[in-house]
Amino acid sequence: MARRVERKPVVAVGVTIVFFAWLYLPILAVALFSLNDKKSLSSFSGFSLRWYDDLVHNEALLDSLVASLQVAAAATLGSLVLGTMLALGLERIRGRRGNLIGAVTLLPLVTPEIVTGVAALLLFTGIGLKLSLTTVVLAEITFSIAYVTVIVRGRLAGIALEVEEAARDLGCTPFQAVRLVILPMLLPALLGAGLLVFALVFDDFVLAFFTTGVDPQPLPVRVYSSIRFGVSPAINAIGTLMLLASALLIVAALVLPRLLGRGTSSLDLITGGRR
Amino acid sequence: MAAPTAEATRRTAPRSAQRTRLWALLLALPTAWMMTFFVSSMVIVVLLSFGRTTNDGFPAFALRTDNYEALWNDVYLELFLRSLGYALATVAISLLIAYPVAYVIALHGGRYKNALIAAIVVPFFASYLIRMYAWKALLSDDGLVNSALRNLGLSDGITFLNTSYAVVGGLVYGFVVFMILPIYASLERLDTSLIEAGKDLYHGPVRTFFFVTVPATRAGLYGGILLVFLPALGDFVSAQLLGGAGTFMVGNLVQQQFMEGQNWPLGSALTVGMMTALTVLMVAYLRATSTQAREL
Amino acid sequence: MSSAPTTNPSVTLRGLTKRFGGTTVVDHLDLDIESGEFFSLLGPSGCGKTTTLRMIAGFSDPTEGTILVGGEDVTSTPPHKRDVNTVFQSYALFEHLDVRRNVGFGLRRKGVDRSSIDKRVAEMLELVELGDRAKDKPSRLSGGQRQRVALARALINQPKVLLLDEPLAALDLKLRRAMQAELKSIQREVGITFLFVTHDQDEALSMSDRVAIMCDGVVEQCGTPEDVYERPTSVFAAGFIGTSNLMNGLWSDGCVSVSPTVSIPAPGHQGSADGDPVSVTVRPEKIWLTEHTPGMFRLPGTIVETSYHGATTQYVVSVGPDLTLTVLEQNLPRMRAEDRWSPGDRVEAGWLPEHTVVLR
Repeated sequence: MARRVERKPVVAVGVTIVFFAWLYLPILAVALFSLNDKKSLSSFSGFSLRWYDDLVHNEALLDSLVASLQVAAAATLGSLVLGTMLALGLERIRGRRGNLIGAVTLLPLVTPEIVTGVAALLLFTGIGLKLSLTTVVLAEITFSIAYVTVIVRGRLAGIALEVEEAARDLGCTPFQAVRLVILPMLLPALLGAGLLVFALVFDDFVLAFFTTGVDPQPLPVRVYSSIRFGVSPAINAIGTLMLLASALLIVAALVLPRLLGRGTSSLDLITGGRR
Repeated sequence: MAAPTAEATRRTAPRSAQRTRLWALLLALPTAWMMTFFVSSMVIVVLLSFGRTTNDGFPAFALRTDNYEALWNDVYLELFLRSLGYALATVAISLLIAYPVAYVIALHGGRYKNALIAAIVVPFFASYLIRMYAWKALLSDDGLVNSALRNLGLSDGITFLNTSYAVVGGLVYGFVVFMILPIYASLERLDTSLIEAGKDLYHGPVRTFFFVTVPATRAGLYGGILLVFLPALGDFVSAQLLGGAGTFMVGNLVQQQFMEGQNWPLGSALTVGMMTALTVLMVAYLRATSTQAREL
Repeated sequence: MSSAPTTNPSVTLRGLTKRFGGTTVVDHLDLDIESGEFFSLLGPSGCGKTTTLRMIAGFSDPTEGTILVGGEDVTSTPPHKRDVNTVFQSYALFEHLDVRRNVGFGLRRKGVDRSSIDKRVAEMLELVELGDRAKDKPSRLSGGQRQRVALARALINQPKVLLLDEPLAALDLKLRRAMQAELKSIQREVGITFLFVTHDQDEALSMSDRVAIMCDGVVEQCGTPEDVYERPTSVFAAGFIGTSNLMNGLWSDGCVSVSPTVSIPAPGHQGSADGDPVSVTVRPEKIWLTEHTPGMFRLPGTIVETSYHGATTQYVVSVGPDLTLTVLEQNLPRMRAEDRWSPGDRVEAGWLPEHTVVLR
């Protein structure tokens, strides 16, 4: 019997290896050809940083990069505040009302992004809000609240209700208990959620596409309009940088909470946690 | 429930009220936000789907069913069915890829488990656009794959782009992670002694897999199917970049109506149609999966 | 003895009632706990002891009744304004703060100046023998150490009463015994009233000055450990603490007839009329199988079961049809294995009439 347990599922291992190759092949190709000194996307003729040099001198693109960073930062801040409030409130208000509010917050997660995007576009135009980076931020916050709420609620479930009572017992008003005890204990989760939302919003194309104004446009929107007209080494360079930035953020989101203490990392939250 | 005495009510009410007030206050702002920016925006979509386009080309509210009537023709129906087909194919292929991958990592990953999962998560959280673009670059007529084929003398070029395969491939590449993670999570929680017991009971790994492992990870499977199907059905980037007019999905049509064609009422009707189809499918799906879960 | 008026009450409960929906969890509870007392609320889970504690702490609003702490009505005072502190079952330590800051938390909220906080925290950590762990995060401490941090964090505020909600439940048996002794000595040293909630009868008996046995939201009996053990006043109290030989019968002429052939004399009992149904109990260790003294009530019987418990041996003696007694005998130094009884041996079970307790 021990023999049967030890046996590796050969087919599954094969599939996994092929999967990882398939997963990384196109990305690595992009990275590789971003360093090509010719315009070709099929033959690598020599190492060069010329496409990166082009990027650095592309004003419009740099504006878009700054715009995306601003949007991501603002949306992260906004959704952290609102999502945490929601998570704390939902923890206490149970029953039908709490369930309803909880369900409404989760709706953006099960709505195709294009629907959310279209709806946001109609709302902003309907109330006469001029499309700009501000409208992008509003839409992204709405979309990201759910992520923050889910992650924070996951962490809250791990903090015994008794901790809050202990704070009250030791002289905290309800508000102080949240500020001095609950929030600090939530910090790892908040950090993880913040990094996750930042990465998601920074990269998000669909919502930004529907809700942005003309100038400056968030980076993904600008990249999209260039991609539509074809493949170019300059986009390889942007793509490589965006991939690196995202990867860094994700790694930070995974590692930082661990470093800050024994909190659950976002990875655990994504995969449903390990107890 | 026995009514508390008047005296007790008077005495305890203020404090309970104060407590509830704080939590209600915490909930008020995010709830108002969601009502303003999400719920009401959905309402506007529904309203505008009954609207019309003015002579100057501006959208206006009205109460007519023109837009829905316009949807009821072969072109749109084919598009709807194609989107559905692509989304289902995406789910099926993702499932075939995700289960073995999740299985290998969860049960045979050893101490590399977390690293492997991170290796999957990192590219998936990186820009969706760039990943689609990467495929476009790789598969284009003068891309790496075709030039390799030519150099090896295997073929003088295959047209990958503008095919259904490319679009579905892009969708799988885009969303397979949403299948892997929930399955991985449920496999991780799986009690391996269950598999041992199954091997004694069912004689053989294959039957054990289908009679024990798969049912035990049903929650992850159901979740993954939903998480892949939803974004796949609404996607337009894959078809836009890897496909062409012949492979367009509902999302492309919606996108065109809003960003190019400027027929917002028609676009709204399309959106509502998509959401209705999705809701019907979701309800049917949830009902089927929950009865199945009850039976066991 | 139960809820006698006290001169210096620390906690007074009057008609305290808690209902959740239609269920009454605490039912018109009256209790007086004296200042400096180690008082235990003992009962099975669901008896309302923790709910009572939570109402005193202020985490749960009473449906009816009043709570006085140090003579002051705190029924509608929020928890942070009550002069009461709690040691939680889960300890509820603040994981983001080190031991020092956990312990000093309450004083800081009260606005005590920094140097006195540091001084008192250091003293308190000495008291609970954690002086060298001041800068550790709680996650680095063992269960027993976490428990002591929780204790120090509550005690440092010198509350009028310290509430302890099964604080030892999460510890293993050996550590629990050690902590019991330590808690008791700390309580004597600081002189603060302890209100201790537990379901563990040994814990309650060995630590408390007084014990209240709770069942279904009411206090069944309240008294010193000796009182409640030796002189239970209710069937529940007798059954919940220790093992007891509970028999039902009818009162007649100074005796309880528990079967057609067995009638147990109970000279001290008053207030029952002939023919009243009563219960009678006698503690297993009060029954002797040998060395009977004159005046003992004796019942002939047969050993049907023996079990060896190390320090003691427990016998089940059949003394009549459907009537058995459990007897606990010390394994004294002079006894050897062959001196113990075996199933089938004929014995005489005897006990002094004053050890017969009649319950109505």
